[in-house]
Amino acid sequence: MGYEEIFPPYDMEWHAHSTKRFANPFVDNKYDRVDVDPVMLSHAAIACGYTIRDFYEKPELGIHCLAYIYQMYDLLPVSHWFYSTPWLKELGMELTQKDTLPPIAETPIISEPGQVDDLEVPDEKAIRNGYTYPQYQRLYSYVQKNLPQTFVPISYGFDPVGEASHICGVENFIMWTFTEEDAAKKLLKKFTDTAIEGALCTAKDYGMAMLVLGSVLANNDIFSDEAVREYSVNNMRYYIDKCFRGGAGPQIFYHCCGNHETDYKEFHNLIWSPFTVFHIGYKGREVFPTELLKKEFGNKATIMGSVDTKLMINPNPKAVYDQAATSIKAGRDSPRGYILGCACECPMYTLPGNILAMTRAAKDHGTYGKF
Amino acid sequence: MDAKFSAEAKDLMGKRGLKEADVADVVKTAETSNRKITTGKVNIAKKRIGEVTVYAKYDADGNVCNAYSHRMVLGEPVKTTDTPEITKWECVHCKEKAIAGTVNMTYMGITRSGPAIVCPKCGDSWVEEYLATKTIAAAEGLFEKKKA
Repeated sequence: MGYEEIFPPYDMEWHAHSTKRFANPFVDNKYDRVDVDPVMLSHAAIACGYTIRDFYEKPELGIHCLAYIYQMYDLLPVSHWFYSTPWLKELGMELTQKDTLPPIAETPIISEPGQVDDLEVPDEKAIRNGYTYPQYQRLYSYVQKNLPQTFVPISYGFDPVGEASHICGVENFIMWTFTEEDAAKKLLKKFTDTAIEGALCTAKDYGMAMLVLGSVLANNDIFSDEAVREYSVNNMRYYIDKCFRGGAGPQIFYHCCGNHETDYKEFHNLIWSPFTVFHIGYKGREVFPTELLKKEFGNKATIMGSVDTKLMINPNPKAVYDQAATSIKAGRDSPRGYILGCACECPMYTLPGNILAMTRAAKDHGTYGKF
Repeated sequence: MDAKFSAEAKDLMGKRGLKEADVADVVKTAETSNRKITTGKVNIAKKRIGEVTVYAKYDADGNVCNAYSHRMVLGEPVKTTDTPEITKWECVHCKEKAIAGTVNMTYMGITRSGPAIVCPKCGDSWVEEYLATKTIAAAEGLFEKKKA
């Protein structure tokens, strides 16, 4: 039995409505209300009675859960499935599936700066015969066959600084940014070149590739503003430039979770496309203020405001509603559009009542014509 | 200066639906006005003709090696950084090194931001072939689909 047999037919009437709504932030259609995207992953599997491990071990099941549950929560008409460690297996790392976590890269494969030179960046053939890309090819075949209306070809560069750090160990990487800058930069470039190759394969096979890229480890809890610029922003520019040259894009989702208290200004120097969504999680310990996000980035990209992920497992939907309403009111008239999100992935055990609080806030405060 | 077209250039223009006369007009206008960017060996010039912006890439003798177009209208530069990346291109009119910048792009009444080569002095902007034929072309298609 295929996973598609577990689910009722996809609701095309809802899809048509949701699709019109999803166009709002990109083409100024002003239809219905602002979009809500709580950055959902394995919560969708939990909501369907499966496990976190199921979500990540069985991508086809995971993405079908997500597309199905999006209907219940009245979220987006598109599907996605990802984890934070793509392309590492191609560089020689092992990924371990966990019961309560996404697959993780537990054991660094290099410990000395000199070993960075031995890492080989896979070429197109190696990417196609590797782990990550074939996994996405199988997944996308499933979606094209069973959920074609939700299909968006996406390639995940994800968090290059964080991923490169897995290869040598996070502590080593951070130390190398002070003591072995060349090795740290070379390692980062090798990971990034691998991710670029993956994006170009996606663009070649599917005609385009939405690019998801973040600055997560590179944040103000660990790095100075200058280091965020040097290691993260400049590298993100490099990734996007190479991807665009190879035909990937034009959609970009920049996801900067973590604390970007002062380094947020560095992100002005990213490459912006006409279909860019920009998201910052936190400023200090608080969610990044939507007012500031709009002021700084509202004329460059669609902005994604945030509800604190911590609130999503707190049995207090009113607190979620209030924070969502505050963000919506601050961001709903942003010149390039606004989406309500969570500061990072909504937790696996997010309380459904809290997602309802987000969409309720969108209906109460983000309905076009009411503001 | 009159534009000259190789067989390859003519073939490429044919595939892209570009008229030889329009591309020649782009070159002629650029040479008259000095509104172009150059590496010293190669120039890129553009001109809005009807609903499209037509580009010509050509050398000092007017030999056109590439031509392409986009429908989006490039607008004002959007400030991103105080330390922009300098490109290999120079704005001939201003004699300024051009930067890898961001400009407003308008299509179907919608304005968004996109990457371009920008003269920091006059604010004029150009896009290279890969952006016009890949990124911007795909974005135009998405605008049409989402706006429908």
